[in-house]
Amino acid sequence: MTDQPPSPEHEFAEEQASLWRITLGPLIWALHFIACYAAAAVICAKLDASPPAIEAMRWSIGAGTLAALAGIGWAGRRSWTQWRDGNDDVFDDDDGSNEDRTQFLGHAALLLSIISFLGVIYTALPAFFETSCL
Amino acid sequence: MTTRANLSLPSAGRQAGPGLTSGSARERLALGPSSQLGCWWVLAPFLLTACDGPQSALSTGGADAAQLDRLFTVMLVGAVVLWLGINGLFLYATRRGGRPVSRGWAEALIIGGGIGLPVVVLTALLSYGLSIMPDQRAVGEGLRLRVTGEEFWWRVEYWPDGADAPIVAANEIRLPVGQRTEIELASTGVIHSLWLPALGGKTDMIPGRINRMSLHPTQEGLWRGQCAEFCGLSHALMALQAVAMEEGDFRDWLAREAAPAGGAGGAGAAIFAAQGCGACHAVRGTGARGAVGPDLTHLGARGSVAAGILPMTPEAIADWIRDPAAFKPGVRMPAYAHLPEDELTALADWLWSLK
Ligand code: HEC
Ligand SMILES: [Cu+2]
Repeated sequence: MTDQPPSPEHEFAEEQASLWRITLGPLIWALHFIACYAAAAVICAKLDASPPAIEAMRWSIGAGTLAALAGIGWAGRRSWTQWRDGNDDVFDDDDGSNEDRTQFLGHAALLLSIISFLGVIYTALPAFFETSCL
Repeated sequence: MTTRANLSLPSAGRQAGPGLTSGSARERLALGPSSQLGCWWVLAPFLLTACDGPQSALSTGGADAAQLDRLFTVMLVGAVVLWLGINGLFLYATRRGGRPVSRGWAEALIIGGGIGLPVVVLTALLSYGLSIMPDQRAVGEGLRLRVTGEEFWWRVEYWPDGADAPIVAANEIRLPVGQRTEIELASTGVIHSLWLPALGGKTDMIPGRINRMSLHPTQEGLWRGQCAEFCGLSHALMALQAVAMEEGDFRDWLAREAAPAGGAGGAGAAIFAAQGCGACHAVRGTGARGAVGPDLTHLGARGSVAAGILPMTPEAIADWIRDPAAFKPGVRMPAYAHLPEDELTALADWLWSLK
């Protein structure tokens, strides 16, 4: 990918960033999960579970879900690029070169983004169907 | 007879184990699978008994249970189709096909069958399940019941619309047909769970909180329920009967249930009072006001004695009073074996006559 071999420090920083990026999808999923469950628990158990409050919560979950999906979509796109761009044999990223390592991390991040995307949808589905705290 | 002969075959096979290559052993082993099949067929009718009867989720008498029954059927059919599909593919790949496929095909199969199909199936199932949840949790109309789990029986209170005191009963639940009844679930001491499979799903009864469920019987009938959360020595002996009645019949019955006991006199009543049964049991219309054990005001009108364990006969009542722990280990009622037989009989006859 690069003409010159990068300095070890640069390379390390790059891989570290890539390692962080791999967690982005699951991280958004986790935050979305906590936010949804906390909101439902507080409104249903601690507040009065009034219909307007529940309605507001359902819309907020809807908006939060769209935002989370957009974030995960973006992370997924990035990892797709990281995996595919300039990769001539995408299923053979295992000979230990730096390039292969980066591409492998991209691949893993993409798969994690996909599962996070689905997880966020499944977390939000109850808010779509249930209209009360019962 | 044939089954019995077959049953001995596996051991014959095991004896032949070391000499697997010998012709006779192979013949005997070959018999193995078919002999096992034979056993399974004998068991099949016993499995089918679970499909019917008063305590089956597959033979339903209520809207909620019918919905769960449909859910089960959908899941079962889906599982069978998937099982056949997967194993068909497996068989095809290992026994028939065996030709390598192109990379494109393989990827399509892995992504389509490994991600696409499961996502579609799971999303559909989850949406279906979530869409019926509001029905399962629907609020009742009119009558409200409070059922409290005790060791090892059920305290039942009927709260008709606008009532300010409950009508107390025990060990039997009566519900009007064609109407959704709200049921509050409480418990003293330990966790129980009320489950009437033919009418709906089960819900735990947890000390210190009130859970809720609602049931909507769609046809008249007698159903059986069972405590579904281990609660002590006689947990398995903690059952109850549910009676679904036409609305008019139900109203008449509830009026009778609300009335004090009829025929409150006689030898039996005197023994009941003398023995101090009233410290634990209430019989409205007499001085007995205890609330430790089940209300006995209309005991004789129930379908069973001691929470679904004994038939409602004077003999069974007498047997119970003589030694309750003989029928329910850990029971919280003392034995009255010291009572002379004629007093026991008079006592039981009187209790049985409380309709
Ligand atoms: C210490 C309290 C106590 C005393 C005293 C007591 N009982 Fe009980 N009794 C209970 C309890 C608790 C049960 C429920 C047992 C169970 O099913 O687990 C019960 C159940 C019964 C039942 C079955 C009720 C039903 O709904 O099927 C009858 C009948 C009965 N008692 C009669 C008597 C008579 C008659 C006496 C007096 C001779 C008596 N009991 C004394 C506590 C008591
Ligand atoms: Cu129990």
